[in-house]
Amino acid sequence: MNSPNPTAVAEAPPETPPRRRPIRLPRDRHAIVDSFFRFQSLFGLVAVFVIAIAVSPVRNGENVFLSSGNLANIVRAVSEIGIIAVGMTFVILIGGIDLSVGAVLGLAAVGSATLMVDSGLGILPTVLIVLFIGTAFGATQGAIVARIGIQSFIVTLAGLQAARGIARMWSGGLGIPIAYGDGPQEAPEAFSMLSGSINGVLPVPALLFLAIGVGALLVLRTTAFARHVYAIGGNEKAARLSGVPVRRVRIAVFAISGLLAALAGIIHAGQLNQGSPNDGAGYELDAIAAVVIGGTSLAGGSGSMGGTIAGALLLGILNNILALNNIDANVQLVVKGLVIVAAAALQKLRPRIA
Amino acid sequence: MRYARRAATILALTALVATSACSVEDDPGTSSDASATCGTGKDFLIGMSQANNAEPYRQVMNDDVTNAAKSVPGFKVVVSDAAQDNSKQVADVENFLSQGINLLIISPNEAKPLTAVVKKAYDQGIPVIVLDRKVEGDAYTAFIGGDNVAIGRAAGEYYAKTLLPQGGKVVEISGLPGSTPAAERAQGFREGIASNPKIEIVASQTAEWLREKGQSVMDAMLKANPDIDAVYSHNDPMAEGAYLAAKAAGKETAIKFTGIDALPVPSGGIKAVEQGRLQATFQYPTGGREAIDMAKKILVDCTKDVPKTTTLGTMQITKENAAEAYTTLGGKQ
Repeated sequence: MNSPNPTAVAEAPPETPPRRRPIRLPRDRHAIVDSFFRFQSLFGLVAVFVIAIAVSPVRNGENVFLSSGNLANIVRAVSEIGIIAVGMTFVILIGGIDLSVGAVLGLAAVGSATLMVDSGLGILPTVLIVLFIGTAFGATQGAIVARIGIQSFIVTLAGLQAARGIARMWSGGLGIPIAYGDGPQEAPEAFSMLSGSINGVLPVPALLFLAIGVGALLVLRTTAFARHVYAIGGNEKAARLSGVPVRRVRIAVFAISGLLAALAGIIHAGQLNQGSPNDGAGYELDAIAAVVIGGTSLAGGSGSMGGTIAGALLLGILNNILALNNIDANVQLVVKGLVIVAAAALQKLRPRIA
Repeated sequence: MRYARRAATILALTALVATSACSVEDDPGTSSDASATCGTGKDFLIGMSQANNAEPYRQVMNDDVTNAAKSVPGFKVVVSDAAQDNSKQVADVENFLSQGINLLIISPNEAKPLTAVVKKAYDQGIPVIVLDRKVEGDAYTAFIGGDNVAIGRAAGEYYAKTLLPQGGKVVEISGLPGSTPAAERAQGFREGIASNPKIEIVASQTAEWLREKGQSVMDAMLKANPDIDAVYSHNDPMAEGAYLAAKAAGKETAIKFTGIDALPVPSGGIKAVEQGRLQATFQYPTGGREAIDMAKKILVDCTKDVPKTTTLGTMQITKENAAEAYTTLGGKQ
C-alpha cells in the first residue's frame, strides 16, 4: 500500500528505464530506518514525553508533569479530539477529509442538552438519538460525495455550515445549561459521570477514547472493510475493478466519522454541563493535525490508527507542557505549527522501499 | 542514509525549538510554594485565565492585570488564553492548579461550563477572583465587574443634559441580540434620557458589536431617516462604522456619535474621541487593576473579608479629558 501510484507504473511506456535508482541500504540499517518511519509518531510521542519530563517544573520535589493529576488532565483534555481523530483517520485513509466534525460535535452537545433538559428524555434515548443524528449527518455527506462525486472538502465544508446553523436554530443561539436532578428541566444525575473518573484516576472520557481507539485499531488490522478502505485510498479505480463496493465504503466511512463526532459531542456536554451551539469550532483542524502527526498520508491509502492515537496524545502532552512552563499563548501556536510541519516532512522523507 | 540524516536533522531541530521555547521563562514551580500563606516579603504565583485574547477588551484586561502586578513585589502573573473554547479554559485552570498557583483570576468564557473547575480551585483553598463574567453559585472569593445598566444610564443622561438638551432624533445601534450587555446598555439608556422627553429614539438596529455591520446598518438607517441628530452605539467599533457611513453620505458633521468601552488602545474609542470622530465614549472597566489590588489585600495584607461583589463605575470621556484618560487607563502612545 506504500507504493504511491501503481497506475503510473502500469501506464508507463516499457522502454522508459527507471530514472531513480532504488535506495540501497545495508539490511540492518534498512530495517531500523524503515521501522523508525513506520512508528514515527510513536517515537515522537516517546520523545515528547521524555522532553516533557525533563523540562517540567518541579514542585515540592515532585515532577509536576508526571503527577497523576496532571497525566489525568492530559488524557481527559485529548479525549474529545482523539475520538474525532479516530473517525477522521478512516476518512483520510480513503483520500477524503471531513471538515464538519467540530460543528457536528456542537450539534450533538446541543442535542444532548435539549433532549434531556427540555424534552425530559432519559440518558439512553438521548444518546441513541444524538448518535443517530451524527451518523445520519455523516452518511448524508458520504452519499453526496459518493453518488454525486463532489469532493469531500466541499461537501463537508457545506456540512460544517449546515450543522452549525441547525445547532443554533435548535438552541435559540444560546448555550443550554444542564442541571442535574429528578425534576422537570433537569437531566438524570448519571449523565454527570462523563465528567468523573474511575477510582479518581482514569477520567471517563479518556476510557472511552481508549476503548474506541483500540476498537478502531483492531477493525483496521483485521477486517475486510479495512482492506477496502486502504484499497480505495491507494487506487480507487483498481479497487473498483477488483470488486470493492467503493460507494458503500465511502458512505460508511463518513457515517463513522459523524457517529464519533456525535459521541465526542455527548462527552463534551457531560464534561461542561452545557450544550452550546458554538462549541467545537476548529476541532476539525486539531483532529486533522493528530492524524497527520500520526503519519497518515492526506493522499490516502497509507497510515495507521495507532499513529493517530499517538498523534493525539502527543498534541495533548505538547499543549500541557507548554502551559505548565507558562509559554506565551501565541508562541504555543507557533510551536504546534512547527511540530505538525515536522511530522509531515518526516512522512515525505519516508523511503519508498517495496 | 541521506533520508536518515535529513530525518535526524528535522527531529533535532524540532527538539531544539521545543526545548528552547520551554526555557524562555524561568521555572515558576520552584519560586512558589503551594503551602505559601499570606504575608509580606513572599513570592506569589497568580494564574490569569482569559476567555479569549482575540477580543481587544480582553487583551487590555490582561495588560491591566500584568502591569498592575509589576508594582507589587513578589507577584508573578501567568496568563492563559482559552481562545473562546470552554474545554480549553477548563484545562487551563487545571494546568494552573498543577503548577500550584496561589491565587486564580478568571474571566470565564461562559458561566455554566467553568463553574465546576472554579469550585475545584476554591475548594482547594485557592482564592478566586472572577472578572467581568460570572460563574454560577458562590464558590469563589470575589466578583469584580462593570454595570452595563449604569453605563447606559450615564450615556442617556449625557444625551439629555449635554449632547441634545433641546431634544432630537436618535438612532440606536445595538450589540448582539440576546446578549446581556446589549440588553442592559439599551435599558439604561432609556432610563437616562427619560428626563428629556424631547429626545426620541427613531430607530434601533443591531450590528452585532461589529464595525463593518455598524457601517452597513447606518447606511440603511440614513436612507430611512435622513434627519438623524445623534447615534447611540452600544460599543465604539460600531460607532466608528456608523461614522464612516455618515461620512460617505456627507453627513458626518451634522450627526453626533457616541460609543461605549473606551479602550486605551490606538484603535479604541478614546482615540476616536480625541480625534473628533466620536463626541463621547463611556468606559467599560476591565477590573484588571482592581483584581490585583484585591489579590494584594488577600495575599500580602492577609485581609480575610474582601467584598464578595465589586461593581465598578464608568468614566465619561469627551474631548476635554480624552488625552488624559488615555494615559491614566494605561494606553501606550
